[in-house]
Amino acid sequence: MKKALFLVLAFALLVLSACGNDTTTNKTTSNKESKETKETTETNESKEVNLYTARHYDVDDELYAKFEEETGIKVNVIKGEADELLERIKREGDATEADLFLTADAGRLYRAKDDGLLQAVSSDKLDEQVPANFQDKDQMWYGLTKRARVIIYNKETVKPEELSTYEALTEDQWKGRVLIRGSENVYNQSLLASFIEINGEDKAKEWAAGLVSNFARDPEGGDRDQAKAIAAGVGDVAIMNTYYFGQMLNSEDPEEVKVAEGLGIFFPNQDTTGTHVNVSGAGVVKTSKNKDNAIKLLEFLSAPEAQGTFAEANYEYPVNESVEATELLKSWGEFKEQDISLSVLGDNNAKSILIFNEVGWK
Amino acid sequence: MQRRLANVNGWTVSAAIIMILLFLPNITIVTGIFSPSNENWVHMKEFVLGSFIRTSLILISATAILTISIGLSLAWLITQYQFPLRGFLKWALILPLSIPPFIGAYTYHGIVNYTGVIQTTLRDQFDMVLNPAHFDIMNLPGAIFIYTMFLYPYVYTITRVFLSQQSASLIESARMLGKGPWRTFFQVVIPISRVSIIGGASLVVLEVLNDYGVVKYFGIQTFTTAIFQTWFGLGDIESSIKLAASLMGFVIFILVIEKVLRGRRQYSYSTTKVRPLPLIQLKGWKAGLVTTYGLMILSLGFFIPIAQLIDWMILTFGTIPMDEFLTYVKNSVLVAGISATAIIIFALIVGNFSRLVQGKVAKLLPKLSILGYSIPGAVIAVAVVTAFIALDRFLVPLYQMIGITTTLVLSVSLIMLISAYIIRFFAIGYNSIESGYDKIGTDFRDASRLLGVGVTKTFFKVDVPMLKGAIISGFILVFIDILKEIPLTLILRPFNFDTLSTKAFQYASDEKIMEASQASLLIVGISALAIVVFYKFLEKEPD
Repeated sequence: MKKALFLVLAFALLVLSACGNDTTTNKTTSNKESKETKETTETNESKEVNLYTARHYDVDDELYAKFEEETGIKVNVIKGEADELLERIKREGDATEADLFLTADAGRLYRAKDDGLLQAVSSDKLDEQVPANFQDKDQMWYGLTKRARVIIYNKETVKPEELSTYEALTEDQWKGRVLIRGSENVYNQSLLASFIEINGEDKAKEWAAGLVSNFARDPEGGDRDQAKAIAAGVGDVAIMNTYYFGQMLNSEDPEEVKVAEGLGIFFPNQDTTGTHVNVSGAGVVKTSKNKDNAIKLLEFLSAPEAQGTFAEANYEYPVNESVEATELLKSWGEFKEQDISLSVLGDNNAKSILIFNEVGWK
Repeated sequence: MQRRLANVNGWTVSAAIIMILLFLPNITIVTGIFSPSNENWVHMKEFVLGSFIRTSLILISATAILTISIGLSLAWLITQYQFPLRGFLKWALILPLSIPPFIGAYTYHGIVNYTGVIQTTLRDQFDMVLNPAHFDIMNLPGAIFIYTMFLYPYVYTITRVFLSQQSASLIESARMLGKGPWRTFFQVVIPISRVSIIGGASLVVLEVLNDYGVVKYFGIQTFTTAIFQTWFGLGDIESSIKLAASLMGFVIFILVIEKVLRGRRQYSYSTTKVRPLPLIQLKGWKAGLVTTYGLMILSLGFFIPIAQLIDWMILTFGTIPMDEFLTYVKNSVLVAGISATAIIIFALIVGNFSRLVQGKVAKLLPKLSILGYSIPGAVIAVAVVTAFIALDRFLVPLYQMIGITTTLVLSVSLIMLISAYIIRFFAIGYNSIESGYDKIGTDFRDASRLLGVGVTKTFFKVDVPMLKGAIISGFILVFIDILKEIPLTLILRPFNFDTLSTKAFQYASDEKIMEASQASLLIVGISALAIVVFYKFLEKEPD
């Protein structure tokens, strides 16, 4: 028993000493780093850019590595959830080390801007690479990739001619056939937020209530689960993001591929208001100490080369119009997008939550 | 008497400092309860809060009852009887704890859904198409199942430590007085292990309350949903903190009830010789039944999900970058090891203080440290960030003296993350240690003190050896919990710091559960290794 105790204590000491060493080295490096930052901000030649990102794709890391290779600027990354990262930046205040905030929803970008966390930046390159409707109107953030929220249908039970708009899904013929995930999901919040902008709050609420009454089941799972539920016969149509459908078609699991192949993709509202589109995008943090590097990274990510990788790896649409979408995305055809400023998605976000709660969209 | 008081003071001061540090960040949250109610708060109250609270109550009571039934029955069987595979089950039954519940939820859904192994096999091999409704796990009963299977080890570990260190005399007396095994269990074992049952079950309940991953994925709306809806959806963190503070209030209420229930009854070693119980040999169908029961629970909580994860790992091997995985392992083990060690040391100090000092306040105060465990990690994270940034700003003059020019030093280092772990998981370690102190009482310590041995020496020579079981199980529980922890690690980590759990989360949150299998399996592997090392090689208590 004594021996056992000795071992436990020895382990504890070992861990503690490792801790001690580690923190001291950490401190010295951070000292060094901060000195460097100081010197370099003075000479404007810092070799770092600090990124807070809510995008978690492996391809992002590859792009950062490539950026470092090309420019010599190291990208330091903290990955997290958008709202939590925003809260961290907010609490860090003017002392924050963050230079660039990247997230996968225009609503969150709007919120960052609204909270005064971003600054306007401009460059000819950015204007050339990112179309105006995918930039914030005050140039506080820039879109980098886009995804559409579309209707996926069972090829056997639904003819594409039966489909037309998001609004039509509230009609009686779809009773008990519609699948969509829960209202805590930001893509649904942004979808409803866009309807509030286009059709007004009352109509949007009507739509949400109508859709709820046509639900095949209480919302559960993620976007992919809605597609699987179609295959399982729970419902016939689902609203989901394009890239999830792309991922399923290319899944490592042959069963998922089989499911996806039995499904069709439909871009709604082509003759009316257009299909709902959201973006991944980024904005430079107001107190950024490496502003130039942050802009360089934005330019790099929206340049044709990176845009190709972005879109290819995650089945997203590039924002840069000079870049062609991948074969798969091209096979889905061109489509008309909602013609609204993406900022409204954030503006109306809270309103959508209230509507979801009121109509009982779980 | 004078000398004794003077000696206790050293411990009292350290205990007080530790407790103040643990509470400090919670103050941000507690003060939230006094913030004025705005329209969002009113809306939540009007439309959703009622049903959210109902769901939460069902979820926690059902999970508590099931985890107690499973955990306590297993602990009792293991400490009382000899049956095939007992030695293996004894430590293996803790393994389900190594699977993060959200990974468990994704995995089970992966098994039973339309493209899962059950339905595809039936469909492709036997041409059977089944009603998908029968295979739906994403509902309230499903969530109860997930939480039960992956959290029952809290009850099992804590009650098993208690029962195995239980002096034979009480149970033996019951046996000699002619009570059968069932009556012994219900009339002796349950009452005397009440403290450890409640200790284990309260960890389960708090874990269910603070978890968001499972209920979010399953589309179940609980009180935690309300907290995140007001924060993420409505962008109103004040109301969200107010909700979290209400949750804390509820937990304080439960804690007080528990203290009242526990009353003044004390059960501690009644003889100087703490003999383990002689095991009763089970034979025939009874032995078979007990072994089957143990294996069944272990399969549901461990083997089945692990088999699925391994299958996915093989499917996706080589499709995701793996070259950094060694760093993730190192990072995970480093932060979990440091934090768990610190927590156990702190828990020993505070537990010793609480046991020696008389008075209700001194007894209840350490229990309040559990508050940090009751609310979602993301909210704790905000409180910790706030506290550390304030600390950094306060220390700026000092930083400048030693040549640091940035304001944020501590809050961009690992120190912030480790402190957050300590604040959050202190309750887990403390529960274990307290249950151990509870068991040994103060008689031996007093005897040692009467013989003129100093306080500190008595602590190391008398108490720590008797607490060994509690120390080991406490360390393991905390270590594993930190390995799989997610919101704190995500929000509070320094730049470029990834762990296995952040990696697993990264894939799972993008609905790439197959790609998450590699990191998940490594978490499980390291946890299993920790369990094996500590139980098999260090805890050589006679069976």
